[in-house]
Amino acid sequence: MRVFQFYSSASLEKLTGRKAHNLDELLELVKTCSSSSIFFHTFSAFRKLREAQTPYTNDFAVWIMRHLSEEALAEKLLAIDLAEYNTIESLRSRIVELLESYRRENPSLYEREATAPFYLYSLVRFVYLTDKFAYNLSSFRQLLDSISIDSLYYHFIESRLETQLETDDFSNWMQENPDYKELADRIRKIDMNIHTLVELRVRIGEIIDEYL
Amino acid sequence: MSIPKLSDYKDVVGRDVVGELYTLASHVGNRSIKMVNSTAVGGGVAEMLHRVVPLLNELGIETGWEVIKGGADFFDITKAFHNALQGKEEHFEQQVFKTYLAYNEMNYQEMSFDEDLIVIHDPQPAALIHWQKKRKNKWVWRCHIDMSHPNQQVWDFLRSYVELYDAAIFSSPLFSPQLKIPQYRFYPAIDPLADKNRELDDDYVTSVMEKYEIPRDKPIVTQISRYDPWKDPVGVIQAFKMARRHVDCRLLMVGDKAADDPEAEKILAQVNEAAGDDPDIKIIFLTHSIPTEINAFQRASDIVLQKSIREGFALTVSEALWKYRPVIGGAVGGIPAQIIHGYTGMLVHSVEGASLQIRTLLQQAELAKRLGQNGHQRVKDEFLITTLLKRYLLLLLALDHPGKSTILLD
Repeated sequence: MRVFQFYSSASLEKLTGRKAHNLDELLELVKTCSSSSIFFHTFSAFRKLREAQTPYTNDFAVWIMRHLSEEALAEKLLAIDLAEYNTIESLRSRIVELLESYRRENPSLYEREATAPFYLYSLVRFVYLTDKFAYNLSSFRQLLDSISIDSLYYHFIESRLETQLETDDFSNWMQENPDYKELADRIRKIDMNIHTLVELRVRIGEIIDEYL
Repeated sequence: MSIPKLSDYKDVVGRDVVGELYTLASHVGNRSIKMVNSTAVGGGVAEMLHRVVPLLNELGIETGWEVIKGGADFFDITKAFHNALQGKEEHFEQQVFKTYLAYNEMNYQEMSFDEDLIVIHDPQPAALIHWQKKRKNKWVWRCHIDMSHPNQQVWDFLRSYVELYDAAIFSSPLFSPQLKIPQYRFYPAIDPLADKNRELDDDYVTSVMEKYEIPRDKPIVTQISRYDPWKDPVGVIQAFKMARRHVDCRLLMVGDKAADDPEAEKILAQVNEAAGDDPDIKIIFLTHSIPTEINAFQRASDIVLQKSIREGFALTVSEALWKYRPVIGGAVGGIPAQIIHGYTGMLVHSVEGASLQIRTLLQQAELAKRLGQNGHQRVKDEFLITTLLKRYLLLLLALDHPGKSTILLD
């Protein structure tokens, strides 16, 4: 097995000055904003909202639920599984598709004023190497408990934007060893939408322990 | 208690969070920061700088802090600017702006600005940059006040200086005006090891409640806030009285009054009148609050209210959430950033809403507990000083790569 280098990521939030007051304006923002804005309101939001045990996967759904009380549309948006997207553009397309198809069914709704505006953010994202390296499954297991939550999130969810793979880094690395193909498959199938990152760390550890 | 070191935060936020700060600091390398503001004591900015400056130094970022000087005339002007930038209608004579600039120039001549990053806090020293004609370092303006509806005359004057900076920082998009320079969002932060937030012995909490003669025979609902109409203290009493028809409880109100607020006495009289001689309502008026006592009041509470109808960031919400209290907050200012309704607390828009949530949370212990736990986590992720330190480290890195949205650090 090659050495597994643990990376981590962090982001600095930027204000864009752009906002939406209704769903039409939100749709326009989603279509025209930078990819880092999409990243902020999805991948970055999910990372933080997950730990507070909210069922939200993105800021768009939170705003639609809180300020437009349009539960059905919010549900569709929060059912988006970020793990299925390895490019921001494919994720943006999905959000646009959902917003446009809902508009076809509810055209008048899109001009209704929300109780507060949606503020579009952007961010500067940092991806960096940590001082942690795993040489085999055993050392990986030892390090798993000490890596940061951000590092865990990066490798399990976010890195697919870099690798363009439809899988997390951990299972991708494990499956290089023929003995760990089943392990890799089990790790890959962990549903992030029902675990916090703290629970995810525990779950991954429990599964690996069965193979050590 | 000695001043906490960065290593002391490991037990509070986790070893991994502190480790991450050191990793990021190693990517930043040997850099220096100078913080500049207008007061060394009093107020949230000074309180925060007293903690952030030594902790950044521990991370290897050589960080200094200087306070600008000025006569009473200067601080009268900057106080008036502060109120105007928060929306107060007032017209200023040209001499006022000249005096402001003269003090800024005097301070500029007495100070040096050789650090890699200069962070100027709030409007008082904002014009210092005007005299720094050629610069190799970066200058950032950190605005802590709500500038969503600024007095146009003052803002037009100030903006010409603010737009000379490399970037500006605001606490919320709600508070920021349109600017030509990049704007970052830094949430304000609480220090979990400060006296106002650190763990307390139960005996101490008990002694504080005894000192103020607050029986603990019933659940306690508390609002700790200045007696000011925007904190809606009368609405809190009304909500409490409505809720108590259904569930037995006590109301504790703790607060001071703004020294420069002529309305304060009137508000306090209204609060006392609304409370009447109700034995379940305890109103405490403090001229100088003791942080550990405020901490004890929060920890002794079953529910903490921040029923504001207009608000800045309201870090009192984060203080209570950090202590695992279920919080009911008005859906204004920075409160919705801290409270995700139904998950990290409850947001309300009316006296009736507050009353209903008091009833709900006092009778649904599991829900109240869950809100407190999730709220604690939300604060841990976003509103602690360790997150603020991380933002400063990232800011140093971001300013090295202007215009880039993804930065790879190997």
